[in-house]
Amino acid sequence: MSTTMQLLRTDWFGLLVAFLLGAIMLGVAQPSFLSTYNIYVILTAFALSVLVALSQMVIVAIGQLNLSVGAIGGLAAITFAGAMDLWNVPIPVAILIGLMVGVAGGALNGVVTHVTGLNAFVVTLATLSIFKGTNIGITEAQPFYDIPEAVKTFGNARFGFFPYLLFVSGAILVAVWVFMRRAVLGRQLLAVGGNRNAAELSGISIGRVVVAAHVLSGTLAAVAGMLAVARLQLGQPTIGDDWLIISFAAPVIGGAVLAGGHVSVGGTLLGVAIIMLINNALVLLNVNPYAVQLLLGALILAAVALSRFRDPA
Amino acid sequence: MSMKVVDGRAGPRGPTLALLASSEAGLLLITVGFVILFSYLTPGFSSPFNTYALTRVLAIDVVIGFSMMVVLVTGGLNLAVGAIGVCAVMVGGWAMEVAGLPILVAVVLALASGAALGALNGILTVAMRVHSFVVTLATMSLFFGAMIVMTKAQAFNALPAAFVSLAKLKTYFFASSMLYISIGIGVLLWWLFHHTLIGRQILAAGANTSAARLSGVPVERTIVVCHALSGALAAFAGLMLTARNGAALPSMAGQLGMDWLLPAFLAPVLGGTLLTGGTLSVAGTFLGAAMVTVLSNGLLQLELGEFWVQAFLGIILLVAVALDRLRAHLMAKRRI
Amino acid sequence: MKINRYTTVAAAALLLSAGVAQASDTKAALVPGGPHPYFAAWEGAAAAAAEDFDVEAEYEVPPAWELSQQNEMIESLVAQGYNAFLVFPGDASGTNATLGELKDFGIPSATLAGCTEAPTPALFCLGTDVYNSAYLGTQELIKAMGGSGNIAHFTGFLVDPNTQLRIDAVEKAASEHDGVEVIQVIADIDAPEPADEKINAFLAAQGDNVDGIVTTAWVPAVVAATSLRNLGDKRIKMVGIDHDQVVLDAIKDGYVHGTMLQNPYGQGYIGVYAMDLVRSGCTMKDDAPWMTTAQTDRFIDSGTAFVGADEVDNYQDAMVRVTDEIMADFKETYMNCPN
Repeated sequence: MSTTMQLLRTDWFGLLVAFLLGAIMLGVAQPSFLSTYNIYVILTAFALSVLVALSQMVIVAIGQLNLSVGAIGGLAAITFAGAMDLWNVPIPVAILIGLMVGVAGGALNGVVTHVTGLNAFVVTLATLSIFKGTNIGITEAQPFYDIPEAVKTFGNARFGFFPYLLFVSGAILVAVWVFMRRAVLGRQLLAVGGNRNAAELSGISIGRVVVAAHVLSGTLAAVAGMLAVARLQLGQPTIGDDWLIISFAAPVIGGAVLAGGHVSVGGTLLGVAIIMLINNALVLLNVNPYAVQLLLGALILAAVALSRFRDPA
Repeated sequence: MSMKVVDGRAGPRGPTLALLASSEAGLLLITVGFVILFSYLTPGFSSPFNTYALTRVLAIDVVIGFSMMVVLVTGGLNLAVGAIGVCAVMVGGWAMEVAGLPILVAVVLALASGAALGALNGILTVAMRVHSFVVTLATMSLFFGAMIVMTKAQAFNALPAAFVSLAKLKTYFFASSMLYISIGIGVLLWWLFHHTLIGRQILAAGANTSAARLSGVPVERTIVVCHALSGALAAFAGLMLTARNGAALPSMAGQLGMDWLLPAFLAPVLGGTLLTGGTLSVAGTFLGAAMVTVLSNGLLQLELGEFWVQAFLGIILLVAVALDRLRAHLMAKRRI
Repeated sequence: MKINRYTTVAAAALLLSAGVAQASDTKAALVPGGPHPYFAAWEGAAAAAAEDFDVEAEYEVPPAWELSQQNEMIESLVAQGYNAFLVFPGDASGTNATLGELKDFGIPSATLAGCTEAPTPALFCLGTDVYNSAYLGTQELIKAMGGSGNIAHFTGFLVDPNTQLRIDAVEKAASEHDGVEVIQVIADIDAPEPADEKINAFLAAQGDNVDGIVTTAWVPAVVAATSLRNLGDKRIKMVGIDHDQVVLDAIKDGYVHGTMLQNPYGQGYIGVYAMDLVRSGCTMKDDAPWMTTAQTDRFIDSGTAFVGADEVDNYQDAMVRVTDEIMADFKETYMNCPN
């Protein structure tokens, strides 16, 4: 098989070409697309969204779906903000508390899914209500305002076009990539997703893998929630409400198989990038607000169709 | 095409008939238990007004649940139920209010447009060979966006009184008249899936796609049929809600129609319809919706501090599905 | 649900309405559209009014911002014996059906903060005329811009019919001035993350070209205020909406020119007072000085005011003053009472 054929068959090559073509076209149509500030804006949104997408991707890897990604992220965001606002805890402690919320939420999803044998879709449908309901119960829909300056500054600092937030997301992105590629547990995730019975027969502890995947998912969602607090400079109870579509669309555009066993970190990254590009284009080209939703749906459908075209199974 | 189920024990053919029956019995038991509990704890719960209001909510949620159920049976999902429902009622509202068509014609138009949008989902799913979850994730935005473009989000609020009064037809025996319509739809669905050729083909295709294909079942056609049926049922639920709201509202099912997703999934899933496809329980879906409606209504009546209602509902649902699972597990053990 | 204590519904409905009619005390519920910071003041208003007028009044929040959840909430409150309703309409058209049913049961209702479309069973609408508020806010913005320039409008969910009113109002205000143009409308940004993404993308593309920003929804106001502060941009004038702390602080620090305030406390307080009068036998006057809006001809302005840097510290005093003014002659102005 030639190198070109190999490239064409990867999850990411076609997407990369699509992304570059789109970026060039947008750059020509609207030169401010390439302005430093606009690239910074896109990268900031990317830094948040890519974690949301990864959080879903690790669950898709084991052949499940997690509807509670946004609810966990939102709950972590408001506990992180609330801890600093109400109890004045030091920032590292608040981060730890936020992470613990993510770990605990993910563990609840994983343990209940495994122990009861219920479909994760059902479990996370119920825990979505629990996490979001707890969020509203704690905040009574009021934001936490008193966020330390250091957190606010971090959320809005940049080197030229490069937001500090992307240091966090970038490091996590690399870590997840290494984890899925090289770590034993990462490969086990895919094995369980690919063929559960075979994985079990080869001695993999299914329970451990399922719980680990959900804990990882919860933690990633929690980090995304806390980054959103830093970016928005405010503990909004509605953080995470809008994550559902991007969390699924990005991994799927990136070539993930919903039945499990196959995901691509690079593809997911490009999936997020393409959605960010679409969102940015809809603003930069001053699209009629009434047409935005329609176009977004059509373009996501087109992106999915494109990723199918690549892989005529 | 089908999604992995976590529990390896649940085979593609699903539980036996006897177990299915007992699963519904379990739901009925839990629901009746909560009814008694809430009636005892709150003065308002068993009042005639509340019974009427509750059964009306139930009537609509049951049909929303059906609309998801008929896609789950193929092993697929339909995230666009709410978006289709809204699109269909806006067509119906336009037909009644602007075009001045007779109510019956408008209703048929609405149902037909729901079915057409559903069929489009089915065709895209088959043609693109992707999971319907992905297709409907995109079409949810597509359909809803198209509706917003065409209506500019303006409601049709001068519908014929005869249509609106359908929802106000008070009661036959203690329940909203709409509930009996939902039960009628349930009976039709039961007949369709258990007593017609296409119904049996759908079940066979959902249970084991390749085996069904080998035995001559037109698998692709069953998928399109199910999605079209889902769209028509979503349109029907939308029409019921329109009668209840007295207007065809773009905001009826919230942004992108996502407000419907929770009732749509909860009812069939609690009722024992497997996400892997191949099985369904019409009665279970009805009872699943009944349990959720009773719980959310009862929790509101208890006045626990309204900001916490959603969290409590989530906890009880989780415990309920886990208990039902445990019961099924124990029953299965006893049988063996 | 399977309990059947009553054989005929006619009898049941009769029982219920009789029960309502005999209740001597007002038990009012203040029901917002869902959990939202705007309505927090209603809770204190309900408590204060309950004490001052010796009635029962509770702030009851639907568990989620959904029309059906709000309807279920109202129905469950009826079952709990509430006999007067003050509702923020979850949908300007859709809420009418629920209020109509309340009316059939002899339960009076009014809309607070936002109105329902006429014809409506609501006795009155006490709140903000969304069209007028957006219109006045844009006029203030144009004044601050020195009478000409380019405007951007950030607003909420298009599926809310009020959003179209706001878009029209901003357009109308702009069209009244030569050299003022609305160059972009960004909608559907009621969630904070997409609001941040889209508002900043707009500023990247048009930051040098835009002279004023008007926001007509809560979250876009907060996010736009934060973005202007982060950019350190005081050239672009902005008029926000509502009273989020972030917006108020940005006004104090000069990043935002002002905000269109409403009077949620006054709405709740006066609303309970009016409901108690209605339950004691008063009826609404047909020839009262009702205002007419795009939605209803039974509108009472609860106090819509532009608040800039000078007034921002004392805006609550202004609202208390407005509330007192409305209260002073509310009964005489709007009601026919038996004694």
